[in-house]
Amino acid sequence: MLEVTDLHVSYGNIEAVRGVGLTVEPERVTLVLGANGAGKSTTLKAIAGLQKPHAGTVRLDGRDITGQAPHRIVRQGVALVPEGRRVFAPISVAENLRLGGYAADKSAFADTLAKVYDMFPILADRRSSPAGLLSGGEQQMLAFGRALMSQPEVMLLDEPSMGLAPVVIDAILAKVAEMAQAGIGILMVEQNAQAGLDIADRVVAIARGEVVYTGESGDARNQASVLRAFLGEAALADRSS
Amino acid sequence: MIAFYDTNLVLIQATLSGLVLALAIQVPLRMGVFSFAGAGSYGIGAYLSAILVLRQGMPGPVAIAVAVLVAAVIGLLLGLLIFKLNGLYLAMATVAFDLIISVIAINGGDLTGASTGLYGVLTDFTTGQMFALTVLVVGLVALSERGRMRRRVDAVRDDPELAASLGINVRRYRLVAFVVSGALGGLAGGMNVMVRTAIGPLDIGFGLIVLALTMIVVGGSRSWKGAVIGAVIFTWLPDVLAVIGEWQELVYGVIVAVAAVFLPRGLYGVIVDLTKWLGRIRRKRRTGGAEQPVDAPESVEPERVELDNTLSREQGGEVARMAAQSEVS
Repeated sequence: MLEVTDLHVSYGNIEAVRGVGLTVEPERVTLVLGANGAGKSTTLKAIAGLQKPHAGTVRLDGRDITGQAPHRIVRQGVALVPEGRRVFAPISVAENLRLGGYAADKSAFADTLAKVYDMFPILADRRSSPAGLLSGGEQQMLAFGRALMSQPEVMLLDEPSMGLAPVVIDAILAKVAEMAQAGIGILMVEQNAQAGLDIADRVVAIARGEVVYTGESGDARNQASVLRAFLGEAALADRSS
Repeated sequence: MIAFYDTNLVLIQATLSGLVLALAIQVPLRMGVFSFAGAGSYGIGAYLSAILVLRQGMPGPVAIAVAVLVAAVIGLLLGLLIFKLNGLYLAMATVAFDLIISVIAINGGDLTGASTGLYGVLTDFTTGQMFALTVLVVGLVALSERGRMRRRVDAVRDDPELAASLGINVRRYRLVAFVVSGALGGLAGGMNVMVRTAIGPLDIGFGLIVLALTMIVVGGSRSWKGAVIGAVIFTWLPDVLAVIGEWQELVYGVIVAVAAVFLPRGLYGVIVDLTKWLGRIRRKRRTGGAEQPVDAPESVEPERVELDNTLSREQGGEVARMAAQSEVS
């Protein structure tokens, strides 16, 4: 279980995250909602170690991992899938996956790889083609697979639906649910509230760097007024019907 | 052959030291570290090994070894100081480092021979040894361009943040770039002064950066083979161009500009493309004009496709085709 308490992160004089607290449990998807610039991505980066928090704690199964270097945090079992997929375009799908296993136990490599190919058959089909030639949805799956290769306990997903066609988004989010079912705790930032709520178990809403709502996703749907307050009408327009 | 070797000995030596210098700049660039500190390390290597021979009476190879070690340590210290800088700022800081080395050489009094430099560095270091050392170094660099090392280096260069979130210690790789650059630069300078027997402030100035970059840009920046091609061309070209006298510099400049604009992957990139093109033609002829299927999904060890940063036109078409397919499905 990943526990974040009272996390503060600043860029120079600007405090982007001001006291965020949340928990990520195994087999559950925690969805982080919030407007642009609310501090969602910064929270993920701070958990992954890419941005040093200046206050607060991040604990994984009780162990304090706050402010550790990113390459160490991966080894503790927290894998980040950054925004915009960011696969290594010139090298093959298989090589991307192999890089993902960099921090993991080498003896389990073949096993993990088989599991990833099992979960994402398209990656097995395209294993020898350069990652840059995959479609957007396939690249997102590769980014998931690459993170899975580090055998994480917790995965941090930053906007997995970004820039994808609506049909593809559903497929991608189904995969997220599948990864959670496999026992991984998932913390997902998503601007597409509608699609994200369909697979989320818990919802954390952030506005201006602070948590303004935490609850089960079923309750969050009924708290439309809360969500509307900072996501705008459009995000929830379909809900009323 | 022997006659050729004798008449061109100086050029052969210059090619070898030029190649190692080019690698001293290319290796950090390949790791995404925009550092020109290799030129300063060349100065350190050249002067230090010359001083060790002249003042301490050290044998040539030992002096070179000490100089390489010192240059590597200075590279590490410099790296610790500035590895957080990026892009242009890092480049400027390393150019400043190179200039500092030049200034020290000019103002070093008796120790560095001031503006006349040091001469009479006579040792038993041979061109054969120089050749062997160069081959060794090129071999080591070539190893770093293969397999898992290549994947990690590519990752650290293309997306350091992502590389870190995969568990790669990016800071360590960046520091290694500084150390390797220092050692290679020191080696190039040390070897050169041993076979030339002299070194002066003019030999280690800003021109070294230009020379090394020229070799890499025209030869190819992503492979040691590019550095070899560049080193050969830009050591021998000035000699060939000597007939056109003062126009030499102009031709030189035009070649660099043309290469930078039209050959972003250098001459090595052109050779890679040509061999692929020839291979395709040969395959086509064998199958009687029928195009072979592009995909071979069952290959065990994935082949590397030379994409680099830019997709070629046909590959761009491929992307579009697949994007279209995925939209349909």
